[in-house]
Amino acid sequence: MTPETRTAAAESVGAAIIEGQGLTRIYGAGESAVTALDDVDISVAPGEYSAVMGPSGCGKSTLLHLLGGLDRPTSGSVLFEGHDIAALDDAHLTELRRRRMGFVFQFFNLIPVLSSTENAALPLVLDGVSPEKAAQRANEWLERFGLGDRLRNRPDQLSGGQQQRVALARALVAEPALILADEPTGNLDSKSAEDIAELLKQVASEFGRSVVMVTHDARTAAHADRVLLMKDGRIVDTVQGAGEHSAEEAAELVKRIDRL
Amino acid sequence: MRTALTLAWRYLNGRRLRSFLTSLAVIFGVMIIFSLNSLLPTITATFDASVKAAAGAVDLEVTGKTDQTFSTDVLQKVRRTEGVDVATGVLQQAIPLPPKAPTGTISLTGVDPLPYSQIHPPRVLSGRFLVPSDGNAMVIGEGLAKSAGLGPGDTFAIPSATGSIRFKIVGVISAPAIGTEQVWVPLKAAQAMLSQGGLINVIDASYVPNANHDEIARMVSLKLGPRYKIGGIAGASQLFANLQTAQAAFDFFGFMALAMGGFIIFNSFRTIVSERRRDIGMLRAIGASRGTVIGIIGIESFLQGALGTGLGLVAGYFITVGMLAGLAPIYETYLHMSVGPPIFTAGNFILTISLGLGVTLVGGLYPAITASRISPLDALRPNMADVDTATYTRRGIIGAVMGAVALALFLARSPSLATLGAFLFLIGLIVAAPALVRPIATVFGRAFTLLFASEGEVARANMARQPGRAAVTASAMMIGLGVIVAMLGLVTSIFAGFFGYLDKSLGADYLLIPQNIVLASGNVGAGPQLTSEIQKTPGVGTVSTLRIASAQMNGKDIEVLGIDPKTYPQVSGLQFSGGNANTAYADLAGGRSLIVNAITASTYNVKVGDVVTLATAEGDKKYRAVAVGNDYLTAKLSTVYISQDKLKEDFHVSSDVLLMANRRPGADAATVQKSLEKVVKQFPAFKLYTAGSWRAEQSATFGATMFLFYGLVAVLAAPSLLALLNTLAMSVLERTREIGMLRAVGSTRRQIRRMVLAESLLLSAAGTGFGLLAGLLLGYALTEATASIYPIAYYFPYSGIVTAIAVGLLSGVVASIIPARSAARLDIIQALQYE
Repeated sequence: MTPETRTAAAESVGAAIIEGQGLTRIYGAGESAVTALDDVDISVAPGEYSAVMGPSGCGKSTLLHLLGGLDRPTSGSVLFEGHDIAALDDAHLTELRRRRMGFVFQFFNLIPVLSSTENAALPLVLDGVSPEKAAQRANEWLERFGLGDRLRNRPDQLSGGQQQRVALARALVAEPALILADEPTGNLDSKSAEDIAELLKQVASEFGRSVVMVTHDARTAAHADRVLLMKDGRIVDTVQGAGEHSAEEAAELVKRIDRL
Repeated sequence: MRTALTLAWRYLNGRRLRSFLTSLAVIFGVMIIFSLNSLLPTITATFDASVKAAAGAVDLEVTGKTDQTFSTDVLQKVRRTEGVDVATGVLQQAIPLPPKAPTGTISLTGVDPLPYSQIHPPRVLSGRFLVPSDGNAMVIGEGLAKSAGLGPGDTFAIPSATGSIRFKIVGVISAPAIGTEQVWVPLKAAQAMLSQGGLINVIDASYVPNANHDEIARMVSLKLGPRYKIGGIAGASQLFANLQTAQAAFDFFGFMALAMGGFIIFNSFRTIVSERRRDIGMLRAIGASRGTVIGIIGIESFLQGALGTGLGLVAGYFITVGMLAGLAPIYETYLHMSVGPPIFTAGNFILTISLGLGVTLVGGLYPAITASRISPLDALRPNMADVDTATYTRRGIIGAVMGAVALALFLARSPSLATLGAFLFLIGLIVAAPALVRPIATVFGRAFTLLFASEGEVARANMARQPGRAAVTASAMMIGLGVIVAMLGLVTSIFAGFFGYLDKSLGADYLLIPQNIVLASGNVGAGPQLTSEIQKTPGVGTVSTLRIASAQMNGKDIEVLGIDPKTYPQVSGLQFSGGNANTAYADLAGGRSLIVNAITASTYNVKVGDVVTLATAEGDKKYRAVAVGNDYLTAKLSTVYISQDKLKEDFHVSSDVLLMANRRPGADAATVQKSLEKVVKQFPAFKLYTAGSWRAEQSATFGATMFLFYGLVAVLAAPSLLALLNTLAMSVLERTREIGMLRAVGSTRRQIRRMVLAESLLLSAAGTGFGLLAGLLLGYALTEATASIYPIAYYFPYSGIVTAIAVGLLSGVVASIIPARSAARLDIIQALQYE
């Protein structure tokens, strides 16, 4: 954590990093209109690890897209560090994503022709940091995630879990305040999924980043500080976890989802 | 920037075969443009150097503006100009030699020995130079001396208007060659031989020391008036003009090849962008701006263009050097010139590089912009190949409207509107192509299903899945084949039209034509002897001749043909498209009247009854146009016909360049021909043809032209082949996983190969179909446009259609070979895991 971000984080203690108010997203129009998200309020505190769970089509991905500024709500607003991102144009939104947010995708989405270091360093390079300096900072994160001996490898030479750790390093390299993860374990075996879920937890607790993760895997969700359960575009239940995941908690979550 | 460069380079490097195939089209176009633009200047410089070397110490050269001969009065005027030291009159003429002579054509220079050697001091190698007392004496250049083994004391025969004349060689001098071997004879001998008594056609002059060159040239020009050209060396100007025309034509083909290269780049990058949708979406999600995305794709296409241009320059260099090495001995032997080193001008580099890079950048621009519009959400969505049906429908409608407008323009029956319509139709086809792919795939697909069974069905579905890409490939092929069909249509029509004139206008049984080119300047004419000898030959009926001079009309050169209004209609005859055949010949005989041919009529806007001014050897003369008529010989040149009497009076020309004779009814063809051959033997400058052999020779010449044309067709067909190959290779790569699946569920390697072949044939069939359609229309429009200059009818280019279909389908088969093999060879497990 750099001094600047630490100050920024300290200043915003108590205030939410990101806040969604009355978020509604309707696709299409007229008779074929589909309400993907229906008047959802959400607030994420600094250093908080939230998981969003629910069946397919419940609107959890739509919520993540709106929070990340990748899509715009039909009504409602998204406040990032207190500022309405609806007011930002594409260039400023892009800059916001580059500097203050990190993304982790289900399919890793690493550039196949770049090495681990180069992939992880991309957000910094895009921001104009010199490639040497960017590589150095990327390597710090990669080593932290146990990829010290895989720095020069290309994605096709890495396992799925290793690829996702590279993606995680990429999400963190620009020291963002918020990490948005879309089904980060969806494409991994259970051992790797466990590792990634644990790393995300570490990201929140040790490095003080807020994490919002969409998943449909209860075992992964059970690592989170709280789990938001969604159905038909609404948040229908919130489970405050102790942050200590256990078999019972996971079982409890599954039961709750089944009741939805 | 550095990251974008790294990314671009690694992506290109990762798909080496595709990168190379994509670049190949650029390489091809750049190679053609670069090598031609270095080759032709090199040849031009070679001629230029020879011409300059031949000019010697000449400060001023005067020639007739229409290359007419003129009297020695003009020489006196030049001599009396202040600042002129020495001036000499020369009669210069290129003379074709009979087939067995040591060289094809010689340049005969009739000189006044004393002043001439003052201006062109001869370097005598053996014997002596000419002296004023010489009669039929000759000095030859060292080249001719060597090649023919001639020297002082030998004789040299030159065909002339009055039969063969023998000259005694008195010396050999060192002479830079100007393409033809030179010989020098006394001026009087030359004038007698060429029936140009007292006339000259060139004045060379040198100045006193420290003379004001511009001032003297101005003074001379003022004294002589507008009918004379003052100045430097323009001897080879016609040659230069021909070279430039050739260069422009080849540049056009190079540019077409490059344009197709642009299409291929466009297609490649569109595929690249759709392949990398998720990568690009991710970059956008993690904070790459639109500009950065455009930059990445832009740099990639720039690299590709740079690679193609670089390799194209190298290939072009080697082709230039290779061709010069091949040409040098030919030039040494036949033109006596040494070819210099290849000339690579800065302009050539700039032109080629900017065209090569420009085409790639333009080709990559639209895909790059598309890429920048990819939403970050695409990184999160599962991959979906969406076919934008709405866009295709819209494009289909726009294309259909353009097609309808094009047809309306056609119906307007105006040549220029029809040409515009044809191009509009071509563009409309390109616009509508994606919408047409499905129906075409369905129609052809049925036929292919019969041929290829289920593989044909899969191929059809694959093609319809990416209508955009199929459309671009088909469009590239369409342009290539369309141009081929159009040009063949035009050429077929022109040739058919010429043969039509030939058959209609050439009524003569026998023709006597100079060895060299018909109706070009520099033919030696025949005096009255040949004509009278032919007339005396038993069995020969009417004899008529053509005489030629050049004049200027509205400041532009024009051929003037002198005919005998009485005999000409009996042996030949013009096809009249204006005026009255019955009165036209009588009018010609009556006074300063002329018949214009169709090109002249349209170029100078001359109508029957107009009075036009011709710049003649005797100054400006007014002639009245009495008819518009065409014949075979003049179909492609601006020509006017006047009577031979007027030609002698105004142009000082009385020698015949072409003789036509009829056989008397009842005379035996073989006997007459034998007697004629005997006569012609004494006039080796002429060759005897019967109507049949002349037509056969013309048709052979056309055949040779067509052969050259097929070469150009190949140049255009090559990029179409590349486009096809490229699309197929991409299509196979993209479907690696699918092919693995097909193999896993039991398709044989053979079936996979047939599937790729079927797709290739479908694509090429669509491209060929479009190409035929566009080409036929374009060809028709071009023929109509040509017909407005001289009347030719449109001939359906059957051979062009057969050629295009053969080229198209063959491309389909050839292009599929490599992709089909690599698809069939895929390792099943690796293919299934392919990302």
